[in-house]
Amino acid sequence: MSRRRLLFVAVAAAAVVAVALVAAMLVTTGGSSKKTGAPVGSQHVAAMLRGVPQSGTALGSGKAPVTLVEFADPQCPYCADWARLALPVIVRHYVRTGKVRIVYSGMHFVGPESEAALRTALAAAAQGRFWNVLELLYENQGTENTGWVTDSLLRSIGGAIPGLDTSKMLDDRNSAEVDRMLAAADALAQQAGVNSTPTFAVGRTGSTLRIVPVSSLGATGLEPALDAALKE
Amino acid sequence: MTDRRLRTAIAVLSVLGAGVAAYLTVAHLTHTQVACVTGGCETVQSSRYSELVGIPVAAIGLAGYVLIGATAGFRSDVARTVGAAAALAGFVFAVYLVYVQIGVIGAVCQWCVTSDVLLALLVAATFLRLREA
Repeated sequence: MSRRRLLFVAVAAAAVVAVALVAAMLVTTGGSSKKTGAPVGSQHVAAMLRGVPQSGTALGSGKAPVTLVEFADPQCPYCADWARLALPVIVRHYVRTGKVRIVYSGMHFVGPESEAALRTALAAAAQGRFWNVLELLYENQGTENTGWVTDSLLRSIGGAIPGLDTSKMLDDRNSAEVDRMLAAADALAQQAGVNSTPTFAVGRTGSTLRIVPVSSLGATGLEPALDAALKE
Repeated sequence: MTDRRLRTAIAVLSVLGAGVAAYLTVAHLTHTQVACVTGGCETVQSSRYSELVGIPVAAIGLAGYVLIGATAGFRSDVARTVGAAAALAGFVFAVYLVYVQIGVIGAVCQWCVTSDVLLALLVAATFLRLREA
C-alpha cells in the first residue's frame, strides 16, 4: 500500500474513533440529552449515589463518626456548583468509606420555585431517593425564578431514577410529612443563624456542630474541617 | 530517524502513558486519592466525565497505550497504521477532555496533562514511522 494511502487510512480511522468517543461522552454525560427530554446527569448521579445508604435527607451510614450539615437552596447557583464539584469527591472519600454522613437542610429563600423544588425532593425522601432527586435538580437547575421547576421537569427527573414512584412523589409534595420536614429545616437554619447558602456545619456525630467557613466550592474547601473532625 | 529508534521511542512513551493511566484507573476503582499538585485531580476523577458508559476513562486510555505500544513490536504497515490511528484518536479525544476540564469542570488534573503530552509525542512518533513506510 502506498504511503499516502496508509496516511489516509490512519487519519480516517482516528477520526472515526475520536468522533465515536466524544459522541459517547456527550450522550452519557447528558451534554446532548436536553434534546431527548431526559434530565442531564442522571447516569452520573445514579453512579455517585449507588449503594450509599439514604435516610430522610441524610446520606451515608448512621454510624459515621462525623456529620456534615449542608444548608442549601435548590435554586442557589453556588449550591449547584458545590453539588457538581465537591459532592462527588466528598461522597467517594468520606461518605462511601463510612467516615462522614451528610445531612441536607433545605432552605427556600431564593423564591417560590425553591420551595417547589425542595418539596419534591423531600417527598422523595419517603422512598429513600431524596439525594437522587436533589442532585438531578441541581444538574438541571435553571435561572432563578424563571419557571424552570415545572411538573414536566420533575416527571422527567423522577422517571430517570430507578425505583422511584414519580406519581407518589408528586402527590406527596404537600403532605403533612413534607410540611413537617420543611418546618424542621427552617427551624434548624434559624437556630444556626444561617443567612446564606451554601453554609456548612461540621462536627462529631451527636455533638454540637460548628459552622465552617469554606474557602472554595471544591472539595478542598471542606476537607480540612472534615479531617480535623475525624481526628477529634 | 530509523524505524528501530522510532519503535523504541513509541514503546517507551507507551509504557510511560500506560503507567499514568494504570495509576488513575486503580485510584478511580479503589476510591483512593491521587497525588496532585494542581489541586483539581480529585474533582476531575470524581466528575461525570471520568467514566464512559461505566468504564473509567483512564482504563480506556490504558487500553489505548497498550495497543499503541504493541504496534511497536511489529514492522508491518498494518502495525504502523494502527499505531498512528490509535495515537491520533487518543490525542483528539484528549484535546476534547482538556476543553472539558477547563471549560466545564473548571479543574485541571496534572496526570491528564502528562498523558496529553505523551500522546502528542506519540502522534509525532507514530506518524514519522508511518512516513518511513
